[in-house]
Amino acid sequence: MAAVRKSSSGGAAAPHKRKLTIIAEDPDVKVGGRILTTEVEIPAEELIPGPRGYRVSVVDYDATTDTLYKPAELPVVAHGSDEESYFLNDPRFHAQNVYAIVMRILARFEFALGRRVAWGSDGHQLHVAPHAFAEANAFYSREDRGLFFGYFTVSRPDGPDKPVFTCLSHDIIAHETTHAILDGLRRRYLEPSSPDQAAFHEGFADIVALLSMFSLQDVVGALLGSGPASPLIPQQDLERDKIRQSVLFGLANQMGSELSRVRGQALRRSLELTPGKAHLDMPEFQEPHRRGEILVAAIMSSFLDIWLARLERLGFLKGREKDRSLVVEEGARVAEHLLTMAIRAIDYSPPTDINFSDFLSALLTVDKEVVPDDTKYGYRGTLIRNFKAYGIEPARQANDDGTWRPSEGTFTYARTRYDSLLRDKEEVFRFIWENREQLKIDDDGYVEVEAIHPSIRIGPDGFVLRETIAQYVQIMTLTVGELKAELGIDPPADMPEDRRVRIFGGGALIFDDYGQLKYQIRNRLESKERQDARLKYLWENGFFDRPADDRAPFAALHLARATG
Amino acid sequence: MATSPLSVTIRSYQVGFGDCFLLSFRYSASDERHVLMDFGSTGLPEHLPKTHMRDVAEHIRERIGKNNRLHAVVATHRHKDHISGFETKEDGSGPGDIIRALKPLVVVQPWTEDPKLKTNATGPGRPALTGEQRHIAMLASMNDVAESALRESAQLYFAKDVQGQLAFLGEDNIANRSAVKNLMDMAPNVYTHCAGESGLERDDVLPGVRVHVLGPPTIQQTDTIKKMRSRDADEFWHLQARALRDFGASGGGAAAIFPEAYVRARGSGFPIDARWLIYRSRRLRGEQLLQIVRILDQQMNNTSLILLFEVGDKLLLFPGDAQLENWQYALGQQQYKDLLARVNLYKVGHHGSLNATPKTLWQLFDNKSKDKTNDRRLVSLMSTMKGKHGHEDRETEVPRRPLVQALKRESSLRSTHDFKAKELYRDTEMDFG
Repeated sequence: MAAVRKSSSGGAAAPHKRKLTIIAEDPDVKVGGRILTTEVEIPAEELIPGPRGYRVSVVDYDATTDTLYKPAELPVVAHGSDEESYFLNDPRFHAQNVYAIVMRILARFEFALGRRVAWGSDGHQLHVAPHAFAEANAFYSREDRGLFFGYFTVSRPDGPDKPVFTCLSHDIIAHETTHAILDGLRRRYLEPSSPDQAAFHEGFADIVALLSMFSLQDVVGALLGSGPASPLIPQQDLERDKIRQSVLFGLANQMGSELSRVRGQALRRSLELTPGKAHLDMPEFQEPHRRGEILVAAIMSSFLDIWLARLERLGFLKGREKDRSLVVEEGARVAEHLLTMAIRAIDYSPPTDINFSDFLSALLTVDKEVVPDDTKYGYRGTLIRNFKAYGIEPARQANDDGTWRPSEGTFTYARTRYDSLLRDKEEVFRFIWENREQLKIDDDGYVEVEAIHPSIRIGPDGFVLRETIAQYVQIMTLTVGELKAELGIDPPADMPEDRRVRIFGGGALIFDDYGQLKYQIRNRLESKERQDARLKYLWENGFFDRPADDRAPFAALHLARATG
Repeated sequence: MATSPLSVTIRSYQVGFGDCFLLSFRYSASDERHVLMDFGSTGLPEHLPKTHMRDVAEHIRERIGKNNRLHAVVATHRHKDHISGFETKEDGSGPGDIIRALKPLVVVQPWTEDPKLKTNATGPGRPALTGEQRHIAMLASMNDVAESALRESAQLYFAKDVQGQLAFLGEDNIANRSAVKNLMDMAPNVYTHCAGESGLERDDVLPGVRVHVLGPPTIQQTDTIKKMRSRDADEFWHLQARALRDFGASGGGAAAIFPEAYVRARGSGFPIDARWLIYRSRRLRGEQLLQIVRILDQQMNNTSLILLFEVGDKLLLFPGDAQLENWQYALGQQQYKDLLARVNLYKVGHHGSLNATPKTLWQLFDNKSKDKTNDRRLVSLMSTMKGKHGHEDRETEVPRRPLVQALKRESSLRSTHDFKAKELYRDTEMDFG
């Protein structure tokens, strides 16, 4: 399909979709000796060479060699007879690969939320540098408004060093893109907090990377069992352990280990974590990437459980074989449902100091809103069981079934205007101000309404359900002594009394179709338990000894992970 | 026959940003035993001549005298500011040649310098390697990264302070080949670790002196205390070193990684629409590189020997540049904590950086005193130079101001920074009576 050109855009005939070729996993994943590629569909848009569109601007500048490469015009068409060499050696294809995957992930979020989703960075267009520098690293930088992908080399026993481009790895691109989007949805998740919060960013990014792969049905079909040669797949290839060991979940043989060095093997090792162990309390799981694996393990085990349960309902063909396309389709459905749930759960999570329990309650609530009856596929039951197996219980302030409790009490609406409440931060703040006692918001601290988003989806009755989600944060800077005296918080004993500490609180206010408060999902500033744990963690990990102006937290985090 | 020293003279030499201490233990009027504790510099005060390190070596030779020898050399770790004085020259005129001619009986170094643990194996998945071998391979990769970073520091588009820090840290961390070789073969080496033997207690070196080795910890010792085990750290450094070697700046600048046909612009003449990202990438690159070099600099510091000399009721602590991670194992052992509480003389770690004098260590010293007339007051020796390392606005400057204030307040601080322009050294005496 031809790229949408200036002259043809905007007309009635303007296409809505664009198809582009990407490398399915990474260049080391081959089927039949060829790099596994696929064609993805992304929203069509006005594109100029780069590619530069309305959300992404690929600028192929390499700071190590101080070189700017020519902008790519899409689609980049394979040239020459050596396909592998083209995928690896044509920077224009690399530009297409990152552009397509970034846009695909963004579109996935917008689809789940029913609205446009902003990046965490200022501006509408996120810069993407596919060959940013010679370094075994890739990261999102809010301040630099971009995604930066490094490249490096590995030695081969026979032949010259082989270049490794992080911009050719689906998982790395999807992961970094998710950081940028999650930062746009919940900017305070990058604040120093408990080990869970940093781990959440990592784990959630991995979940999106993994689950979004399952909608590429040709890829999943090719990677399951012995490969795509047959339209049938033997039952033995659909056993739990066998699937876990496939490229989709585990480290299959052909999976190169090089790219895993960039981010550790977190993403594809999560299922190796044995359920039932107290991972959360183990010292090595205090590091964000490792801790994130626990969240990934809980979600991916749930995914596998539901998928396998659905496969049991599929009949056998020819003895003990199943229809490959139906198997893949079932997987795609489950992944789709879970991914949508995970993305929507962000709206239902507290905007500050999130922990894994909060996220579980958010997931359950989101699902219950859409599917009140859990008996058919048992998503909620499966999630609770798997999260518990990894030591994660629903939030303490949730209902018995783990979902958030609806807001109770009588609120004053008389002084707020419904229509304004849906889009105006001042109006939401007025609502908060008028109702601060019922909302239990302390009026000493700084309170700001940081965002208002509409959320639109189809409700269980088939009607359009419109909600409005406002986020407010509370920030207070107190000395250690004041924390003790005023809030009853117990900072670590060896923290000096006069040290100033910034603490956060905040909530998501969910208003229903009528502008009535449906949920207040909050972490209170005065929550002693949470603040104690946060301060203990930050103090013990030397956060207070570090200079205040540390930039590019992900860059530093990835470095610290690899070297610490 | 001497059994125990009567006193010690510690001579702090002016070597700018570096360490050089000559410890002369007096056993009788005619029996002095000399230990050279580090000899290196990465930055000299401007008024000093280029031949300064050689001048210091010659001065050490004079101090020892014709009829005596240097009994031992201690190289706490491989940083340039601790070993550059051991460099030799082909014509035999290097400062290291002079030291070598003083015929030390033993050279003491951390276990991380043990050539027997070196390996040529490279690449991911080296299952045959021991933890020690992997660690040493990692340090070698770090040297390579430093070398590349030093080359890249010449990039004109880096901010001046980033450039300066990169050059400084890069230079301090590159492999000092002639000095390393000289140390390795000027005398039999003892490679040691926390709770190991120092090799200094022999009768022909320092009889009657107990030398406790408090660091560096071995891999096993580290594992017992480490909260966050980093996986694949050696491979990370290996990849980093390789990436920089294969693509990084060399002599005339790095070559583009894709063919010329794909190149739009190099070095200058960048189109307007790309400039914002280019400027950001360049700055980010400088900061990333600096961060990498900072991390490796600290890891290298943490290979430092920590020696505690005990004579009678006196204790002298020489921790090289050890930072918290190195200290942690020893600080977890009660027997060392008891000894550290009694320290009389403290060579301030890492030229006065904050991280190298952990709070837990400083709090242990019982001989801290605000009373200047107290004759048991802690003595602290610092060899440093301002404006070379770190930033005041990042609170990382060396020497770190609050630390210097605390040292001045609660100990008798002698810093080479306070030397007069022509002052080559200062002596600190301590009696063991």
